[in-house]
Amino acid sequence: MPKLVRLCLLALLPLTFFGTFSYGAQPLDDLKGPIDEVIRILRDPRYQDKAGRELQREKMWNIIQGVFDFTEMAKRTLARNWKKFTPAQRKEFSELFAEFLGNNYIDKIQGGYQEEQVVYLGQKMVTAKRGVVKTKILRESLEIPVAYSMVLRGGVWRVYDVNIEGVSLVKNYRTQFRKALMRKSPAQLIEILRKKIERQKKARATRDDRAGGAADALSNRCQFKEG
Amino acid sequence: MKKSIWIFVFMGFFVVAGTRGLATGAEPGQGKNTGAVPMSIAAGAGVVEERYMDDNLGYLDEEGEEEIQVPDPLADWNLVWFKFNDFFYLKIVEPVAKGYRAVMPAPARTAVKNFFHNLTTPIRFVNCILQWKGEEAGNEFNRFLINSTLGILGFLDVAKKWGNIDPADEDLGQTLGVWGLDNGFYIVWPFIGPCTARDTIGRVGDFFLDPVTYVDPLLLYAGIKSYDVVNRTSFRIGDYQRFKDAAIDPYVAVRDAYIQYREKEVRE
Repeated sequence: MPKLVRLCLLALLPLTFFGTFSYGAQPLDDLKGPIDEVIRILRDPRYQDKAGRELQREKMWNIIQGVFDFTEMAKRTLARNWKKFTPAQRKEFSELFAEFLGNNYIDKIQGGYQEEQVVYLGQKMVTAKRGVVKTKILRESLEIPVAYSMVLRGGVWRVYDVNIEGVSLVKNYRTQFRKALMRKSPAQLIEILRKKIERQKKARATRDDRAGGAADALSNRCQFKEG
Repeated sequence: MKKSIWIFVFMGFFVVAGTRGLATGAEPGQGKNTGAVPMSIAAGAGVVEERYMDDNLGYLDEEGEEEIQVPDPLADWNLVWFKFNDFFYLKIVEPVAKGYRAVMPAPARTAVKNFFHNLTTPIRFVNCILQWKGEEAGNEFNRFLINSTLGILGFLDVAKKWGNIDPADEDLGQTLGVWGLDNGFYIVWPFIGPCTARDTIGRVGDFFLDPVTYVDPLLLYAGIKSYDVVNRTSFRIGDYQRFKDAAIDPYVAVRDAYIQYREKEVRE
């Protein structure tokens, strides 16, 4: 008899846990946790050499994919043009756009984020399933306001737009894509994006060679931290 | 056996009541998610595929603010100056600012930034009044008094540091916007950069409110202005290049960012 009771309790335990867990999730927590993790990986001295940087990118990318809803972003940037894309093209476009944005984001923070600091100012609920998390980046005496628009899907809050100093990333790309799609086909736009990513890769390779080489040389001599 | 069933029912009641309570108490409207365990995103490969089939664009209405489209009749002409400014900024202004940044520590550059900001108080003060923002106008006035004296000619922003008095970021372009004047059209000026017809009028007006304008030998005036630009740029090294790298069409991206940024400033 007590065994059965214990079994029943055990069976119910996960329910109560997940019940509270999914309600406890707030946009700010779902943003702050992963971003703090990305910053921790960024500052980890293990990833300073060339091979390490590649591994660092991979780790950061895995986290970022969970925070940003890239499909939602792609859809919102295309806006009415979304309907011009076939489901296959939408998928291809979303994946390329995700890679492109992810690269930009990681390149930015790998390339000199160390001197900056993120301050979380709070969250504002727009509806039960949409919210905005306000942050600011401190760089020397400069304050750069950054707001993340987030949507609740499947129990997790994910970012669908980033607003930097009043400029919405989604709207900015929307204007660019609208202009491009006035003369070009969806397939051509996808091709442009693909070429952009190729160029990013090349630029990164040369940069990593330089940064990695410099870091190696430095760490060979002494544990001197690059300014 | 009977006892265990009762315990089971009892427990079940608490679980249901517990989640209900949370659903109504903490986050109204999330009740539909009762069964949604965070892991459901991982299990949703099929769901993700489905999203590519979704034609619903309802979010365009829920965004609220309508999109601002500013005509660009001078696009060809603007593009020429855009490329010129691009080159000028990336090859001349930024490298100079980078060198300057290397020799000038951040506190010194901040002090210079504060000094120039303090000098342009008349622009912000007058435009606060023109926009009927009494409190902000008062803040600007107090900031000027405090920072010019206790802040040693404006090098230190003690008004913000001790009094927590924020500057009011107003200019004539915004004033005209608040008054209802439209952007008109987009225009890129050499050296100055992105602008609109409205903001051009604003800039001309602000020019006369800027004390530095009345510095006599033209060369000295140009020197002071250049130094201001270099000093301000020293806080923004690499930003423009990164923005450009992230753009599909840099000209359109800059234009849109400028329009969005100014729109936000007018709204505030």
